[in-house]
Amino acid sequence: MDTLQHLVSGFAAALSPAYLTYALAGCALGTLIGVLPGLGPAAGTAILIPLTFKLDPTGAIIMLSAIYYGAMYGGTITSVLINVPGEAASVVTCIDGHQMAKQGRGGTALGIAAIGSFVGGIVATVALVVVAPPLAKLALRFGPPEFFALMLFGLCLVSGLAGRSMLAALLMTVLGLLLAMIGIDPVRGAPRFAFDVPDLYDGIGFIPVVMGLFGISEILLAAEAPALAAVRTRLSRLLPSREEWRRSIGAIWRGTGIGFFLGLIPGIGSIVPTFMAYVAEKRLSKTPERFGRGAIEGVAAPESANNAYANAAMIPFLTLGIPSSPTIAVLMGAFIINGITPGPFLFQERPDLVWAVIASFFVGNVILLALNLPLVGLWAKLLEVRFEYLAVGVLLFCLVGAYSLQQSIFDVWVMIAFGVVGYVFRKLELPLAPLVLGLILGSPIEKSLRTSLEMSGGDYSIFLTRPLCVGLLIASSVVLIGSALKLAPKTLREA
Amino acid sequence: MAERVVLACLGLLFGGMAWIALGYSLRDALGPGAGFFPFWLGALGLALSLALLVQSWRGGSIAEAPLALLPRGEGARRALALLASLAVAALLFQPAGFRLTMLFFSAGLLFALGVRRPIVIALFALASSFGLFHVFYYWLQVPLPIGLLGI
Repeated sequence: MDTLQHLVSGFAAALSPAYLTYALAGCALGTLIGVLPGLGPAAGTAILIPLTFKLDPTGAIIMLSAIYYGAMYGGTITSVLINVPGEAASVVTCIDGHQMAKQGRGGTALGIAAIGSFVGGIVATVALVVVAPPLAKLALRFGPPEFFALMLFGLCLVSGLAGRSMLAALLMTVLGLLLAMIGIDPVRGAPRFAFDVPDLYDGIGFIPVVMGLFGISEILLAAEAPALAAVRTRLSRLLPSREEWRRSIGAIWRGTGIGFFLGLIPGIGSIVPTFMAYVAEKRLSKTPERFGRGAIEGVAAPESANNAYANAAMIPFLTLGIPSSPTIAVLMGAFIINGITPGPFLFQERPDLVWAVIASFFVGNVILLALNLPLVGLWAKLLEVRFEYLAVGVLLFCLVGAYSLQQSIFDVWVMIAFGVVGYVFRKLELPLAPLVLGLILGSPIEKSLRTSLEMSGGDYSIFLTRPLCVGLLIASSVVLIGSALKLAPKTLREA
Repeated sequence: MAERVVLACLGLLFGGMAWIALGYSLRDALGPGAGFFPFWLGALGLALSLALLVQSWRGGSIAEAPLALLPRGEGARRALALLASLAVAALLFQPAGFRLTMLFFSAGLLFALGVRRPIVIALFALASSFGLFHVFYYWLQVPLPIGLLGI
């Protein structure tokens, strides 16, 4: 009953003209970011943070959240029309979505993607309303050892599942954690790795790093690649035929279920749910040979999973303060900039904000559906923007974004340096998601570990005497050992 | 080769940070000290870098389809133009102010990337410097630098 009252208050706030406008603007900007090649949701959300400086914290978070799930949908348009995923989660949509476009069914592919995303998003948000408050209450009982084990589990999942090489993903996680050590020690307050440079006392800014790794590096890589042409396809017919509906309905529900449950696991990333949804459909299909040749289920399932995941990933973020993906890590950065710490206390301390944001997820999903179905032709037109203008525009926003956070030119140099680092790492296929999550979780995980050890007087058995800790540590080991075993035969073959 | 160079550099970075962390206290009266976490992370990073280096030497590349690290031809020229423009913009950002820096940044970069229509370049550069400044500085109240010339 309490939850329902909070939700009604949240809707009252989210439907106010100001917040509705922010959600609408966020959805439109997010879709734009997703559509424009060269900007993923993480960099896109990061560079648009300055747009929210003037807003109150609730408005800022509503707008940035809308940018996040708008970008998740926008990536689908490029996947279908130019076979280039706007963001990682849309990789799977390329397989059948682009084939549908080539067959003149591009409009239907985008239509079913919008409908699947809507269903996935709404169902996951309903589940968020049901699951988040009790989970936050439970998390209030967590002590530093439990938080340490939980964050470790998230980092192990990212390391185990990101990229082709688990060792490389682990290396990136450690690099992210170590970069987070630069600045003031969170427990004792002493400077570390600052080398008497005042700018380093506050540590390396998370947002400039993300802008560099994802924004600048993407533009540098795109500068080398030849421009891709959009497929000319029919965009007038957006709604599927009766036969296509029949095939899609089950796929949408299954994709939603897969996306939702995987979204609950911190650190799993957005690619895994979409791949799993696709593979599940192919396995369940009586005609699996249609997959890869324009099967509508191959678009419906991963797109539903993608949006269900995006909304479900808010659960560990809002209740435990653990981001599941680089984009949610950027959102976490935005929360912190606005003086709000995501985690179990958020539901107690700022129920007005948290429920308005949750209600805005419902509103945002409706806006996205209303925005994307009729305007799909307009979004497709944006694909024709020339790289030269796009590159200059993106770099301008990156410069403004990096500088304006702290009015620091040092942050601009950090962004440029990490742009080069991201360019090199991406060429070598060193995964960036573990680095980003390591960077944002570095300080809290160190604090949890050290506080736990202070509680026990330096005795590590504290982690083995608490049941939840033991469970999470076992789960972390299983993830790493499982990934290592999968890696071992490949390594041996390659050697 | 590029992969090994990068891994070696990362190994040096991790090793260096572990070494520096030894200078902070690993333990103190309250438990683990300021150097505890960075030291072990540095050591772990160094071990991982070495493991990947050995794997790379034995032919097991991290990348499935390794790309040439440095671009060539037109791609190299464009990437260099982007980086050089960014660096110059960062240098001029505070002394010359946002508007002048962005005016020359946009115009110069568009030209360097191959746009040859003067009116388009001028309009784009004006919109992205004076126009963007107006939006951010006056409407969104985002603090942007005003240069020594007061522009």
